[in-house]
Amino acid sequence: MNQPWFSFSLPDFSYAFLSVLLEGVPFILLGTLMSGLIDQFLPARVMTRFLPRSPFAGVCVSALLGLVFPMCECGIVPVIRRLIAKGLPVSNAVAYMLAAPIVNPITALSTYAAFRGQGAAEFTVLRLGLGFFIAALAGIAVYNLSIGSVLKKEILESVALGSANAGGGGGAPLSRRLVAAMDAGVRDFLDVMLYFIVGAAAASVFGTAVDQSLFLPLALHDWLAVPSMMALAGILALCSSSDAFVAATFVSFPAVAKLAFLVFGPMMDLKLVFIYAAVFRRRFVFGLAVGLFVLIGLICVRLSVITL
Amino acid sequence: MSATNSRFTASAILLVWGIILVYFQLSGRITSYLHPDFHIPTFVAGIVLLAISGALLFTFQTAGPSQANDCGSRHPFGGGILAIALLLAPLLCAVWISQGRYSANTVMNRGIVTDSAQLPTFFSPVDPDLPGESGTPVDGSMMDPSLYLKKNAEGYIIAETVDLLYGASEEGMRADFENKDVEVKGQFISMRTGNPNGDRFQLMRLFVMCCAADARPVAITVQAKPGTQFPEMTWVKVLGKATFPVEGGRHIAVIEASAISETEPPAESFNY
Repeated sequence: MNQPWFSFSLPDFSYAFLSVLLEGVPFILLGTLMSGLIDQFLPARVMTRFLPRSPFAGVCVSALLGLVFPMCECGIVPVIRRLIAKGLPVSNAVAYMLAAPIVNPITALSTYAAFRGQGAAEFTVLRLGLGFFIAALAGIAVYNLSIGSVLKKEILESVALGSANAGGGGGAPLSRRLVAAMDAGVRDFLDVMLYFIVGAAAASVFGTAVDQSLFLPLALHDWLAVPSMMALAGILALCSSSDAFVAATFVSFPAVAKLAFLVFGPMMDLKLVFIYAAVFRRRFVFGLAVGLFVLIGLICVRLSVITL
Repeated sequence: MSATNSRFTASAILLVWGIILVYFQLSGRITSYLHPDFHIPTFVAGIVLLAISGALLFTFQTAGPSQANDCGSRHPFGGGILAIALLLAPLLCAVWISQGRYSANTVMNRGIVTDSAQLPTFFSPVDPDLPGESGTPVDGSMMDPSLYLKKNAEGYIIAETVDLLYGASEEGMRADFENKDVEVKGQFISMRTGNPNGDRFQLMRLFVMCCAADARPVAITVQAKPGTQFPEMTWVKVLGKATFPVEGGRHIAVIEASAISETEPPAESFNY
């Protein structure tokens, strides 16, 4: 019996959609509560004082911040949005945003555990190393762009506002600042949730309605397996803390395709496209998606000489 | 939107989200959606949302004057009717429409796993214990299966589909089940291929890492009387003998069924 490549069921879609929402809300809430506290209690430009002055070194250090401040890909967007408003250079913010879901202890441990018996140590090092490299490269690329071509108008305005109110709410009583932090957190939460809902819906349509066996014949060639696994990562929109367990099961796919899946997925997927749009211009998000896809794809195809 | 309206709207939206998250936990519906590791974070998020919803109202006086001085973007909620609809309508519709299970259509779209090597968390089998000087495994180094295999009142080993799937690829586990009477619950899926005599079907469970969105259907084969039929995805209990014949160059798990009956879904919606 031939199965159609697309067969939509509303109850199934609702089931997958709801499970993504229930899973994602705690992490987004955590990120937005942090962003509210950053808004009120982190003095503007304090981040830049602690980061190296050299843009290159600053981007590299930012790409490693996830080791100290681990965040998942859903929760990090409100945090970097607020950090940008507080004066963190956009290039550093992008490097942190892309790297943190991969270059962090939780992802390292889950990758190591998932690939036991399949070159776990090498795979973990390659994933974190490539994640860091790509994020740093993206950060450097963003450094060379004008801020106006990267950030949305509202975010640009908040950067200007942040510079004008360099002291934040410093002079206000603590209770007032806590309330203002809550307001800022709620505002971020509702903003990000708008995009998260759209992204979760898109991922759920693909996750339930599309025949995923269509991807299997692509496993036979490296140059097809790598982009198809990246496309799958984009569609499945898995959480970076557990995606390695799913990737490890694609036994028919070459190791480099799984690596591409694990590096591309946490940086760009269907829900992230929409969540990123809460901070960045659509054209920039599109360019970032294409750039990451091409760069990670080319590197992973090139790495296919490695046998894990 | 004025500061007052913005505050009340944000509070109302958070209230709805908070109620739904808490309701899923308290009603037990959450077990059909999330891995147990995520139950507490979701419940806590619901409580926090409810607390913030209330706090937005109780701090109205505190926040009021500063809100009035800022531009609209400083309000807790800066959207319009469309944003309110987007934040609430899909959630409420999904809660209403979702049945907490997939249809056979989605299961087929996801592809059914019949080889444990394709399961998340699969690890290659380890060698059995080394023999002692007598040539047999060292005393106590291999646990007696009766200590960890539960049996029903009739003496059938209560197994999960995933146990038998692992048994097909791990010799040690296979010995626990092979040619023994087992009871397995799962969902009925008719065999689309490899069933020339029409006497086989698949017994399926969903294997989950995080949530239902990443569920992988896991199935073993049941050999039954020709023509055994149930509606697709019906929960059935199969009693029979576990066998692991070699087909297609590898061991597969097949239950030679002696009795099959429709049953209630188990308390645990997923295999983990």
